Amino acid sequence: MKDNANENTIDPCLPGGLMPADQWTLPETSVRRSLKDAIRHALMQLQAGVSQAEESFENMDQLPELSTAQQRRLAPEPDYSHQALAIACALECARSEGSLSREVICLVAPPFSGLQQALAHFSEPFRSDNRENSVDALRVISPPDTLLLDDQAAREWWDNQDLSRPWVIPELADFWLRCLSGLALVKELFRRIANGDAGAGIVGSSSWCWQYWGHYIENAHMSPWTTAPMNSERLGVWFSHLAAGGSKSSITAKMTDNGLYVLPLVEPEEVPSGKDSNEHKESNKRKYSTFLRDLSATSRGNPGVALAIWQRSLRARPDEDARLDDADQKSQAQNLNADCWVVPLNRLSLPLMPQSKESVTGFVLHGLLLHNGLDAPSLESVTGVSAHELSMVLSRLKRAELVAFDQACQCWRVTAIGYPTARRHLQSWGFPVDQF
Amino acid sequence: MIDDLGIKDAFASITGQAMLKALLVIVIASLVTVAIQKVLPRIAHKLGGRPRLYLLASVPLLRLVIILATVMIVVPILVEPSFQNMVAIFGALALALGFAFKDYANSLIAGIVTLYEMPYRPGDWIEVDGQYGEVRAINTRAAEIVTPDDTVVIIPHNKLWNSLIANGNDGTDNLMCVADFHLEANHDVGKVRDLLRDIAFTSPRTKTWHPVSVIVFNKPWGMHYRLKAYPFNPREQFQFISELTARGSAELARQGVKFVSVPVAVD
Repeated sequence: MKDNANENTIDPCLPGGLMPADQWTLPETSVRRSLKDAIRHALMQLQAGVSQAEESFENMDQLPELSTAQQRRLAPEPDYSHQALAIACALECARSEGSLSREVICLVAPPFSGLQQALAHFSEPFRSDNRENSVDALRVISPPDTLLLDDQAAREWWDNQDLSRPWVIPELADFWLRCLSGLALVKELFRRIANGDAGAGIVGSSSWCWQYWGHYIENAHMSPWTTAPMNSERLGVWFSHLAAGGSKSSITAKMTDNGLYVLPLVEPEEVPSGKDSNEHKESNKRKYSTFLRDLSATSRGNPGVALAIWQRSLRARPDEDARLDDADQKSQAQNLNADCWVVPLNRLSLPLMPQSKESVTGFVLHGLLLHNGLDAPSLESVTGVSAHELSMVLSRLKRAELVAFDQACQCWRVTAIGYPTARRHLQSWGFPVDQF
Repeated sequence: MIDDLGIKDAFASITGQAMLKALLVIVIASLVTVAIQKVLPRIAHKLGGRPRLYLLASVPLLRLVIILATVMIVVPILVEPSFQNMVAIFGALALALGFAFKDYANSLIAGIVTLYEMPYRPGDWIEVDGQYGEVRAINTRAAEIVTPDDTVVIIPHNKLWNSLIANGNDGTDNLMCVADFHLEANHDVGKVRDLLRDIAFTSPRTKTWHPVSVIVFNKPWGMHYRLKAYPFNPREQFQFISELTARGSAELARQGVKFVSVPVAVD
């Protein structure tokens, strides 16, 4: 939609907008980078038996990492209410263009894309000064306390939900468990959608969960939509937007190895209003690094993964550390060009897969991704791994920084920084993986 | 007779130095072959998935290339590679093999055909003459398979000419497994089929992007169900079938569907 139709009006909250899932493509990367990654992955698998790395992340340069406050300012977590508004506007736009006509819209995105958090904000009415559109609040459907229901109980549960006014399910993965009595709720939901008994709504789903149900329900053809992949340009726009935090300040980021620019992005050809033409010429003379392109390929265009790696790659120079700290204490609205330095991707060590029985580790990681996080008892029932073995595997994966325990929802999740490693290993072990 | 064939003339020029050279080439080739046979399968087992199968399949092929290269290097070292000498040597060799090692030669030739036609490759699960197992190695004369009971069975390649060879995965990592259920009649067939399909879909070992199907036959003694699905790793086929059978049986029992309780002859 926005991706094809109007690239010039990139929404920094949702760069690239929404698009049909079957049009999603992997961000481009160089052949050199692809080969390097493939060889590195094969070597990592071979070395698994030789060295047992306990440390997942290693700082391989001498520059100090950013303090928490600096990181919060230069690479903060996104405000999902803005993203929710951008999604709502994109859906409205697609409806008005006629490219989206279904009553129930399915939005599918890979884990860490922020879709679930954004859809959760649909329960509040949106209104923004910058936008013409305002969107009414939707009713958020939350899963029942127990997911183990038979077909009759699932029918009764859905009968009790008010589907007469627009609704939203932020994450479909919260409605099922991969065990015999854990499928009924989603089966019943899809049956109602297919029969047109579900009213108007939005179903948000993690790509892993969607991939499973796409195979389970043959000939479903829900024509899901997804967020556009984050290519280098979109990543640049998004990171700049996050660092600006609503102000008009810009972030300047350079590579630590060669001083090439990462941010701000190259200016468009026309001289923007309010900018000096000399300043514009100067910005066009800058030499840019390929960091963002490599990052978009490493993260497979996944914004959450890209942000996690970006946060890890930022550095401050010792002499600038104090200056940046002072700046943090001052008003954030102050127009300050906050310089930071970026470590090349090949000097960053992403989490490594610990050596263990492939199948058990694979069951655990696959189970967590299918359900977008699970507590230990549920994980035990969907993987068939005993509680004792499960706790050992989880503790190893936690030390390797591939999974983390989410205190808020009391469940285990794959980490954003560990997701590329987990996905790649699951794929090479023969597990079904998502399309993104 | 040797004189008639020109063998004596062909070997007349062999010197001690040439013999040593040839021996050195053969030793080096043997060491390279042994190294390939040891190292590549180890690397393959660490990689898993398709790269594992490709790497395993390359072992016999590489060995054949090394053998051919060795022959091509050694023969000119020992004898002058003239047309007459070549005819003499290979003629004599063929005669000797034909008479003395007929079956052995038969297996060697079948081994070469095996590498070309690839009816089985290392990593494949095959059944030959009632023996089922994973192909561990394809040697010059015979293939080695390891049965599920961890017994190595040597299968001469010449079985290729006159035996039926069943290959479960045929060079891929897709191997269909079947769990059988023999049930008493008088139950809701549609419900049981749905239930068995769910059993396969909820197994963490199932490749969900491959078809899962439930076939049912009406037999004189009741209903015979066959649940067919693909495990993500062919090596886990027996755990997979066991898991499907155990979970299916438990759920069917919970639903009140009874298994046939008398011994029956199943064809």
